[in-house]
Amino acid sequence: MNNNIGNGISRQDAYEKVRGVAGYTHDVVLPGMLHSCVLRSPYAHAKVVSIDTTAAEALPGVYAVGTYKNTSSRLFNASGVMAFLAPDLNPVLDQVIFTDCPRYIGDEIAGIAAETEEIAQHALRLIKVKYKKLPTVFDPLEALESNAPLLHPHISSCNTPGGVYTVNQGDVATGFQECDVVFEGKYKLPIQKQAQLETQAAVADFRRSGELIVYSSTQSTHPTRIILAHIFDMDQSKVRVLNPKYVGGAFGVRIGMSGKAEAIAAALSKLAGRPVQTVYSREEDFMASDSRHSGYVSVKLGAKKDGTFHALDIHAVLNTGAYTTYGIEVGIVLGNLATSVYRMPHIHYDGRVVYTNILTAGAFRGFGNPQGTFALEAAVDGIAKMLHKDPLELRLQNIVCDGDVWPLAYPCRASGLGECLSKAAKGIDWKQHGKFDAVGRFRRGIGISSGTHLCGTASSACAVLRLEFDGSLQIATGTSDIGTGNMTAFQQIAADLVGIPLERTYVMWSDTDNTPYDIGAHSSRCLYSIGLALEDASHKMKEKILDYAAEMLEESPKQLRVEQGVIRGGNREITVTELADHAHRREIQFVTRGFPRNNGFTATWHAVAADVEIDTYTGVVNVLKIVAAHDIGKAINPVSVEGQIEGGIVQGLGYALREEMTIQADGRPYNTSYHTYMLPTIGDIPEMEIQLVECPDPSGPLGAKGTGESGMVSTAAAIAAAVEDAIGVRPQEIPMTPERILKILKD
Amino acid sequence: MQEHTDILRFIINGREIYTQAPHDMMLSDFLRDQLFLTGTKKGCGKGECGACTVIVNGDAVNSCMILLGKVNGAIIETIEGLEKDGKLHPLQESFVQKGAVQCGFCTPGMIMSAKALLDRNDNPSKEEIREALGGNICRCTGYVKIEQAVEAAVEEIRKNAGKETKDE
Repeated sequence: MNNNIGNGISRQDAYEKVRGVAGYTHDVVLPGMLHSCVLRSPYAHAKVVSIDTTAAEALPGVYAVGTYKNTSSRLFNASGVMAFLAPDLNPVLDQVIFTDCPRYIGDEIAGIAAETEEIAQHALRLIKVKYKKLPTVFDPLEALESNAPLLHPHISSCNTPGGVYTVNQGDVATGFQECDVVFEGKYKLPIQKQAQLETQAAVADFRRSGELIVYSSTQSTHPTRIILAHIFDMDQSKVRVLNPKYVGGAFGVRIGMSGKAEAIAAALSKLAGRPVQTVYSREEDFMASDSRHSGYVSVKLGAKKDGTFHALDIHAVLNTGAYTTYGIEVGIVLGNLATSVYRMPHIHYDGRVVYTNILTAGAFRGFGNPQGTFALEAAVDGIAKMLHKDPLELRLQNIVCDGDVWPLAYPCRASGLGECLSKAAKGIDWKQHGKFDAVGRFRRGIGISSGTHLCGTASSACAVLRLEFDGSLQIATGTSDIGTGNMTAFQQIAADLVGIPLERTYVMWSDTDNTPYDIGAHSSRCLYSIGLALEDASHKMKEKILDYAAEMLEESPKQLRVEQGVIRGGNREITVTELADHAHRREIQFVTRGFPRNNGFTATWHAVAADVEIDTYTGVVNVLKIVAAHDIGKAINPVSVEGQIEGGIVQGLGYALREEMTIQADGRPYNTSYHTYMLPTIGDIPEMEIQLVECPDPSGPLGAKGTGESGMVSTAAAIAAAVEDAIGVRPQEIPMTPERILKILKD
Repeated sequence: MQEHTDILRFIINGREIYTQAPHDMMLSDFLRDQLFLTGTKKGCGKGECGACTVIVNGDAVNSCMILLGKVNGAIIETIEGLEKDGKLHPLQESFVQKGAVQCGFCTPGMIMSAKALLDRNDNPSKEEIREALGGNICRCTGYVKIEQAVEAAVEEIRKNAGKETKDE
């Protein structure tokens, strides 16, 4: 039966993509469509004293000029938290489309819709704005000081939306007293940018009938619809948001709106009475859409003489920039995941995200976990050093196992982490650890990191299957495919579980008009959450088909099988095509709806090992090899799984060695282009070995879980561990640039 | 007959194209906005990401950096021209087969850079492949499967070339 599940079959969307006929939001053209551009604040914190748009409005070819004066002033949160959030939390609404109080360089002041982009740009220069500059703060620790300027006084009197989030287990104070050794470290993490290839984009058509149609690069059409309906104060049913069909990468940067592209395009379309396209330039994408959280993570880890971990205290201060978006949840995930890798009787975590006058930080693959993991794994190696223990053995001794008690809301169900560690160690030739000569210009080193990530938010997933008149199968889920291949995996699951050929299954690409509600492609959730819904819907569909076939064939349904579109029983057979035709002509349709059988999360596990060589003359860290072993439960499509992990590793490589947005004295980011923000290229790729560990998760569809993010999580930690092995010192700041390595060597 | 000096002429994907588009228009905009050849992507508009790579007179170029007037008369290949008689180019086929495509936004540019290389060098080394694709950014795949896809296409093209020689 299973000829698709478990096979690395070709991605179905790839055929359109290699032909150059795949449609993205950048490619959407509507009749009468106008182009737009945005006036952005040149100041990191200011008040608009006056704004004069008359000259811009008078320019021929200009159809709309939007500012805070003539567009919706409803407060919103551009991220998915408007639609889903941890229980007991309320979304922080701190954004408007156009502001009169810019809080970072790049904040939206005005928008122009015009016949051409050139005219729009010209009009932009005719807008006269007078600003009153306000005091600024860029570092989160400074923003916590009592005399720091407040960004949103109505939300927080100390720049901390969401306050302090804590995780507690046992009693850490007592716990540390009972420890034989205690390691403490403080780590500084950079601003990393998603830098997805397709910049933020939307095409909005606000029709005179009151309907709003938005083509969008979002990774979550349904939540985006909720946000837009809120902003424009209209029924959600009158808003349609769709991907057309493809999204040019996302990595978290557009859960909810694509920056503010959808809201800007819609506001301008409403004013102009014509469709409006808003496409961010690469510079705008860098400076004015969410990044990964930078900040500080301190960790204190205590152990007994025999290496048993006993107490863990983590403290995080993250820079969430000018607006909240996903900030609060990032702080929560950091704490929850950093405290769920090792068995620990005593745990304390406190984390806060802090407003500052820089670009907003939000969701980015890993969602707080890479930051926490970087710090935690440094501490684990620190303890190993103090106790003269092998870091691999120490990890194996302390990792959580199935059924362990931990602070998380979902159980520790199935873990192949031990196997992951062993496989990663074998692949990197772990016995060399600590054995390289510490002399000469080039120093080798090997390091390892354990890690976990969550996958899920299974709630709010739904799959609708429709067997068509001709026996082909339509799969409708409300999620996007941002490039991860989940749509092909859905086809594999539905084809095998229903019993029809994959070639006769079709997915509907995310469109709020014709797919069931879903919260989107993120949280490593598509395969897990929607996979569960699909599993349910597929079983129901198969049952319906067999029940109908039983009547046609005069057999008991139990005696029937359906495989590859053919139903057999006794010595008779009928095709699903014949059955569907027969049924439809008798006014019978087959539509099934499936939901996840659980509504939570589950954990994925992985270990990453790195082999590096450091040039002590130049400070360059050359990664020779990465081995990553991931427990993904069950690989529905092993090629797609490898691709997710490889892509994550390379983002982690960039995070470890090069990628960083630096903020200048006035708050302006220095790196707002691919040229200045150093992404890994094909020339930077080390040898990579991916090992899949399949430890079936009882809560997942066919034992599977999601792996969209896990590749990213531990890469930087493993590379830092290898650097420590090579030069004897653990870098406390990333990226590990040549300058920073040379400084360590000098000290 | 009157001379139309402002008319530009190209051979694009084997077809003759005449246009009165402004000479200072960027080639990428001409392809996308006037010919609706939207397979050529724009990721930065500054020649930094390679998503807009097309082949002009045999060379892979960033079409977002090429003024239309500068390439008058050129033979231009875009991603849409690779499929011949319903058959994918070996590079397109191997990108699908090897899992080298994720979001797909860099894919056309990657394939065009690789094609320009293979057109002049049917047996490139790993280093030559990396050099040829060094200006094409991919944020999804980590490049592993892209490199494998190009290597597989090289093999396929060489195998086919061998067959053709035998047939002759």
